[in-house]
Amino acid sequence: PISQEFPGTMSILEYNGGAVLAMTGKNCVAIATDTRLGMQAQTVACDFQKVFKMNDKLMLGVTGLATDVQTLSQLLKFRLNMYRMREEREIKPETFSALLTHILYERRFGPYFTEPVVAGLNEKNEPFVSAMDLLGAPVFTSDFVVSGTCTSNLYGMCETMYKPNMEPDELFETASQCLLASVDRDALSGWGAVVHVITPTGTISRKLKGRQD
Amino acid sequence: MARRYDSSTTTFSPEGRLHQVEYAIEAINNAGTAVGILAKDGIVLAGEKQKLSGLLAPPKGSEKMYKLDEHVTSVVAGLTADANILINTARVAAQRYIYTYQEPMPVEQMVKRVCNYKQSYTQFGGLRPFGVAFLFAGWDEHYGYQLYMSDPSGNYSGWKATCIGQNNQAGKSLLKNEYDESVGVDEALKLAVKVLVKTMDATSASADKLEFCVLTREGDKCVQRILPGQEVTQIIDEVNTAAASEGDE
Repeated sequence: PISQEFPGTMSILEYNGGAVLAMTGKNCVAIATDTRLGMQAQTVACDFQKVFKMNDKLMLGVTGLATDVQTLSQLLKFRLNMYRMREEREIKPETFSALLTHILYERRFGPYFTEPVVAGLNEKNEPFVSAMDLLGAPVFTSDFVVSGTCTSNLYGMCETMYKPNMEPDELFETASQCLLASVDRDALSGWGAVVHVITPTGTISRKLKGRQD
Repeated sequence: MARRYDSSTTTFSPEGRLHQVEYAIEAINNAGTAVGILAKDGIVLAGEKQKLSGLLAPPKGSEKMYKLDEHVTSVVAGLTADANILINTARVAAQRYIYTYQEPMPVEQMVKRVCNYKQSYTQFGGLRPFGVAFLFAGWDEHYGYQLYMSDPSGNYSGWKATCIGQNNQAGKSLLKNEYDESVGVDEALKLAVKVLVKTMDATSASADKLEFCVLTREGDKCVQRILPGQEVTQIIDEVNTAAASEGDE
């Protein structure tokens, strides 16, 4: 069914465009996003942030309606700060994921139009990734998760190129290539990309040089 | 006797006093002392831990100091249970401010928020006031380092150095004589120890009875540090040797 409110697109989740992937490696995890902000066909910005640092070992990537991407990340920052002060410790990735599913489901009948992705290292520095739909249905995998307007492309690329226990540098290469190739075949994603690799000693962030179209 | 005006928290006495509020302030004057000192490069907060028993499990964080946000911390004197409610209110208010304005809540506004909440218990509802006094220490880009004191009435005031809880008058008089606003955090720490030594029951201060928190800026971030035991002991020793040699002159 063609949407009358948003002609040319099929869903509110596609209005602004975007792509996120998260991939596990050996004691490390990569999270990569494009940086396009569009309004249907028109590109409005090429430096739009879609991945947010929650703490040194936890990052959140969000695709979907841009306003909800920002609101959700701000809301989670609020909840995370309260958690840190009350519990006097950092939140675990699994717990954060659970909190996020809760926040999304609270809005079951008027949801945030976002499909977030959580990537982090737990206390034993084991990698953790999870993804959710807009209502908060989570998916936990041991390899990778994807989200956005070109998930079919992303799934194909990741499934082909992924191998377990990659070191940070190889993980970075793999994640970057998967993302770049996927967004190049999607009109609504691309226009720049950023990749973060979280390791026990720190996070390495790099901007990718991709097709600016 | 003004007895009949005591029970209702929200009624004035004929002399124009709110007795319940005054009794709440009394409750605080029996609680462990807390000191706050503004230095030129930071703020020092110190507190006397009161419940000391060998059987008590050590608290995970702190007994008197509570972080309210990255740029604001507090020390409490009075009923800890009441304090917990107010601390939570302050923390949520700080986060709600960041959520709305995407910038940290100015210190005075946070103090005002807590104080207005305390004040409402002296005017509505028929509930007793909170038996807590706070020392708020924080930094913001508008007014730099600030120190505020608030009491159960909901009043607050800004201070360069002050003291609440047991023997606070003795503490305040020492501060009046010895406070110097040009000193740095290290000197302020020593002064805080001196104040607590004067106000405490026991003749000798020790690291397990005292807590210290220092708020400073490092780059563009605020850093709050609760001093570890050995550092506290070291400072106490320095203060004691200085005091001993003072008497020799």
